[in-house]
Amino acid sequence: MGENKQEWDRLLYIIPFLLVVPYLYLTNENSTDYWWLIIASPFIFFFIIAIVGQIWNKHNFWVNNLKEGGVLGLGALSLSLSTSIWMICDYLSDHGHVETGEPLSWLSFDVLTYGDDSWSIATSGFSGIGFGIYLDSLSIMLLFVATFLCFLICWFAIGYMTTDSINDNSNHRFFAEFVLFSMGMFGMVLADNFLWLFIFWEIMGLCSYLLIGFYYWKPSAAYAAKKAFLTTRVGDVFLMIGLLMLYDIYGSLDFAVVFDHPDTGVGGVAVDSAELQTALLMLFIGAVGKSAQFPLHVWLPDAMEGPTPVSALIHAATMVNAGLYLVARMVPFVDIHHHGVAGMEELGLIVAWIGGITAFMAAAIAFVQNDIKKVLAYSTMSQLAYIFTGLGATLWLFNSGKHHAGALVFGGSLFHLFNHAMAKGMLFMASGSVIHEVHHAHDHLHHHGDDDHDFDPQDMRNMGGLASKLPVTATAMMFGSMSIIGIPLIGGFWSKEVIIAKTWYAYFHGAEELIGPALLLLATAGMTGFYMSRMWFMTFAGEPKNQLVDHVHETTPWIKTPLVILSIITAIGGFGLALYGMVDWLSGEENHLSIHKATFLKQVIYELDHAFLPDDLKLRYVGWTTIFLSFIIGPVMAARIYGGALKEGEKATPVIHWLTSLSGKFGSQNVDEIANSQLADALQNRLYFDDLYEGILARTIIPFSNFTAWFDRTVIDGVIKQIESNSVLGSVQIRKVTTGSARDYILMAAVGALSIFALIWGVN
Amino acid sequence: MILSYEEMELILPELILVLGIILSILLPNVGDAKMRLPLTRMRIPIFIGGTRFKLTADPRLPGRMTVAIFSLAFLFSFLEIKSASGTIGDVIEVTQFTRLMSFIFYGALLLACIATTYRMPAKVTARAPKDSDSEARSNALISALMDNRRQVDFYILMMMVGLGMSLMAMSTNLFFMFVSIELASLAAYILVAFHKEEATGGEAGAKYFIVGSVASATGIYGMSLVYLWAGDLDFDTLSNSWSSMDSLDPLAVIGVGLMLVAFGFKVSAAPFHLAAPDAYAGSSSPVAGVLATASKAMGFVALFRVLIQITMPEEGDAFWYVLLAIIAIITMTWGNLAALTSRNPKRMLAYSSVAHAGYMLAAIAAVGSGLGSSEANEMVLIAIVFHLTILVLFKLGAFLVLSMLEIEGRSHQLKDLHGLASRDPMMAGSMFIFMLALAGVPPLSGFLSKLLMINGIVNISAGTGSSSADAILPWAESVDPVFWLAIAIVINSALSLFYYLRICLVMFFEEPESSKPLRSAYFLRNSIIVLTFLTVFFGIGSGAEYLLGLVTDAVSTM
Repeated sequence: MGENKQEWDRLLYIIPFLLVVPYLYLTNENSTDYWWLIIASPFIFFFIIAIVGQIWNKHNFWVNNLKEGGVLGLGALSLSLSTSIWMICDYLSDHGHVETGEPLSWLSFDVLTYGDDSWSIATSGFSGIGFGIYLDSLSIMLLFVATFLCFLICWFAIGYMTTDSINDNSNHRFFAEFVLFSMGMFGMVLADNFLWLFIFWEIMGLCSYLLIGFYYWKPSAAYAAKKAFLTTRVGDVFLMIGLLMLYDIYGSLDFAVVFDHPDTGVGGVAVDSAELQTALLMLFIGAVGKSAQFPLHVWLPDAMEGPTPVSALIHAATMVNAGLYLVARMVPFVDIHHHGVAGMEELGLIVAWIGGITAFMAAAIAFVQNDIKKVLAYSTMSQLAYIFTGLGATLWLFNSGKHHAGALVFGGSLFHLFNHAMAKGMLFMASGSVIHEVHHAHDHLHHHGDDDHDFDPQDMRNMGGLASKLPVTATAMMFGSMSIIGIPLIGGFWSKEVIIAKTWYAYFHGAEELIGPALLLLATAGMTGFYMSRMWFMTFAGEPKNQLVDHVHETTPWIKTPLVILSIITAIGGFGLALYGMVDWLSGEENHLSIHKATFLKQVIYELDHAFLPDDLKLRYVGWTTIFLSFIIGPVMAARIYGGALKEGEKATPVIHWLTSLSGKFGSQNVDEIANSQLADALQNRLYFDDLYEGILARTIIPFSNFTAWFDRTVIDGVIKQIESNSVLGSVQIRKVTTGSARDYILMAAVGALSIFALIWGVN
Repeated sequence: MILSYEEMELILPELILVLGIILSILLPNVGDAKMRLPLTRMRIPIFIGGTRFKLTADPRLPGRMTVAIFSLAFLFSFLEIKSASGTIGDVIEVTQFTRLMSFIFYGALLLACIATTYRMPAKVTARAPKDSDSEARSNALISALMDNRRQVDFYILMMMVGLGMSLMAMSTNLFFMFVSIELASLAAYILVAFHKEEATGGEAGAKYFIVGSVASATGIYGMSLVYLWAGDLDFDTLSNSWSSMDSLDPLAVIGVGLMLVAFGFKVSAAPFHLAAPDAYAGSSSPVAGVLATASKAMGFVALFRVLIQITMPEEGDAFWYVLLAIIAIITMTWGNLAALTSRNPKRMLAYSSVAHAGYMLAAIAAVGSGLGSSEANEMVLIAIVFHLTILVLFKLGAFLVLSMLEIEGRSHQLKDLHGLASRDPMMAGSMFIFMLALAGVPPLSGFLSKLLMINGIVNISAGTGSSSADAILPWAESVDPVFWLAIAIVINSALSLFYYLRICLVMFFEEPESSKPLRSAYFLRNSIIVLTFLTVFFGIGSGAEYLLGLVTDAVSTM
């Protein structure tokens, strides 16, 4: 306990950061004037941590008191968090849009222009790009998710990273990149302009690359980093093309300008729906890359090579949401009730189909993964795909004039984004906790002479029966899994239900093409129930599968605290926010988060009635099928195969104890035959997507690269080398004139003087 | 002549320097000397001579005092930049332009003085060698004692250079300008040869002096011809006489041509630059830095006076513009080509400085072509003055980094820079930034100045191109040849990247001979870091806008 108290003392360092916002508030400052604090504070601390960490490396105070920069990063993020909470509170009490920001004046100077058949000097053709902020319920929600989770995960990372001997005094690199990433995310959410959005988007991409490759000496990590970077780059190229097309259409990339009248382009011309749709599809491809959707999904599972806090932060909770955010920003373009452009139904359908396919495929692959983080990675893909499908349905509904249903599924999708970010961030942290403790236990045994180099602390086949050893983690993971599965009343249920129901609604109301995504989502709901339960049972239930489980125990408070906080939010946050009308608020239908019915109890009853017994009979069937699949079929199948009571005499918290012994009661089923089938094999190999891509690359790009390399080496380098050698020759010649004798110098000066006169006379 | 209070305020920085020179002579000699009054036994203290007090005997005193004096002068010049305006007598006129120039000079000299306190350190503990000391030890002791002895000389010369340059910028009269230039130049010759015990130093100083005095003699001969022609040496009178001249008077043209030779030497334009690389390589790095920045700025001010202020006609082209364009192209090409194979970093920087002079001469030539509107001309002048200002940041900065190496007795060979990044990442990083700025890589300030210069030249010339030409080639044929000056600058910039980047290459990718970090040299190191920061700061955003605003105001008063 004494040691724990000492650890808590480290938190004293962040108090100054926490005092800033109360001070500003008490001096009656306006919160929107201080939005820059959110971005500036992590940006400044990126440099401070990187530089000081280099100078003070291994310094006692730096390592023990500042946790190699972790505490400074936490402080910077706490300032961002407190500022954003201040802004959110102001926003919620004021409601309405906020657009602010001085244009950051770029360089401006006279430029030469050709116009009206003559060259002329035009002053300042490029006035600059202003950076301001754009606040609506969407960006407010994402801002909260980003600041809150960055803060908690940084907290977690302090415990996770600094106790890992493999990091070897390079944690300042981790924390510096971590806060830089945070800055990118905050900036992207706040930006009031597609260009700045893109800039911050790329900053995130860079940090993602750096952090996946944090263990760069491991070939697998270096490979994964490269793969993630290049795959998202494919999307980014399209994104950039899309942005250029948008600029071409509207003559600006400011949200304020573009969203004002999306149907009139630059110069008051009506916007061509085909052109706009192409531009938006390009943006969507960028989003697909960033959010790891089919067919650009291959990087996300490999990205798990990075440290677990990185997986939690970037590849589950924040960065992958950037793609969703971008697609959500497309809504004004298609909203025909508010000057949107009609005739873009295909856009919504494509988004929904991509989402449906990814959801199903990822869930299927997750069935056979044994690496705890890989399961979560595929689950992330699958859940993000849910949201994409929801957004696709939104786009379709808005564009076909069904505004109310569209708004509902829009809000539901964003609400799922919120629930998923919270739950998945926590699940990754919990998995990190498991991995960390198993690794320590292994090191402990290893210390006693039990040498085992092939040991993988992430492999669930080495776990089992951990529920009694890691009570906090097991509880947290239980809530997280329940939220992801969509167990009624817990977190994600409230949003997932809306997405599935409204996708079906769109199908029933004219979008026949949506039958595919709608069915796929329904199937995926059951599959989610299976693979998430499987993960939990394999990790925590049953008899231990490895002797080291006896040595596992929870240690550092840095890891436990964020888990507890997020468990609470995951467990009751979904229902709570649903009661307060989160869905309507997110879709912009309502300006306030508040209870609409007369009493709290009436609101509860209304929500429950709405969720379980919707008026539309068809949707009622859909809803109950979903619940049946995800709540009964999936978990029970998983329990039959992987469940089991804890070992005799092991104590766990009552709920967990009951859950594990329940899982043992469904009997057991041998799945060896299925596990050895070709389908399982294909799933193990991720449906051969990686092989396919590598095969295509090997046949197309690589020969081309070889050719360009040859061209570069022989032709371009040859020319350059020729120029260089000629220059060097000239240089040697010309330096011969510099004899070093003053007499020659004066001679040259005299020659020069004479030439001057010759020239003057020659010219005049 | 007694100065009034306002006049004193006007030239406060220069007065501070004069005071500094006097104090430098007096203070180190203050001691407890007493004089016996004749016929009495009373001895009254006279303080000059005798046993010096502990404070005045401190060899570090002159260096510290000079740094303080230059800091004050620098500060006051800066404070007066916005307000300075007035004349003293017939020879001195203070304008925003002259204050900006003295600001540049004092800044460069201040940095050089800071560097010299480490380059030629005064050692309080120095003592005479004893018999028991080894030969190497006693040599080191003797040289430390020598360095102590000549501290005062060095710093007095530095202040004289500053005073001369500053007065030169203020002068409104060819004669006074010449005297001021010589005050600065003679002091500079000695500074180049200051480390005379080193083989290269004395030789370089002698060569620089000989060639310099030939140039000066040529220049003063030119001035005398001009005097013969106009009967006056005042700039305004000369300008009036020039514009009232019907056709070019041979006397005047020869006079100006001869002056071009003198000032060409000062800015190290080809073919008068030949002594410059020797001088830079032979002198200590801080002094070389001053020659490359402040001294060059002085030469350009002189060129502005003669070429722009006196001989630039209202309409049409000046008689010297083709000549200057040719000199400019030869200068930049020569500088860059010669730098390519230089293995001595100081010599390389010297040639790079020659190349930069070429760029600026090209810009002046474009102004002389008379094609541009007055705004376009002014923009080019702004670009030149801006370039001279920021040159102090990165050119001098590069020399200061070399000073860091010189402290440990190196910097004459490229291989002394090998692996600097692993020895001292901070200094290597700074040098990297300086090199990129010299090469003109965005977003550094070196890029901005080069861009402004090229843009200005293009602006001046582009209007002459055939407006009906729809393809680039016919247009390029029709455009005035001045346009090709811009192309020459671009090509030369590309060429120059080669040797700038080679420095960066060896710093980062070669193995150092020793892994020992450089000396800490607190103030010098921090000065370099500040310069690095400013190099970036003035290249983009509000920093660049601020400095450009300052320069624009200054140029409008030129």
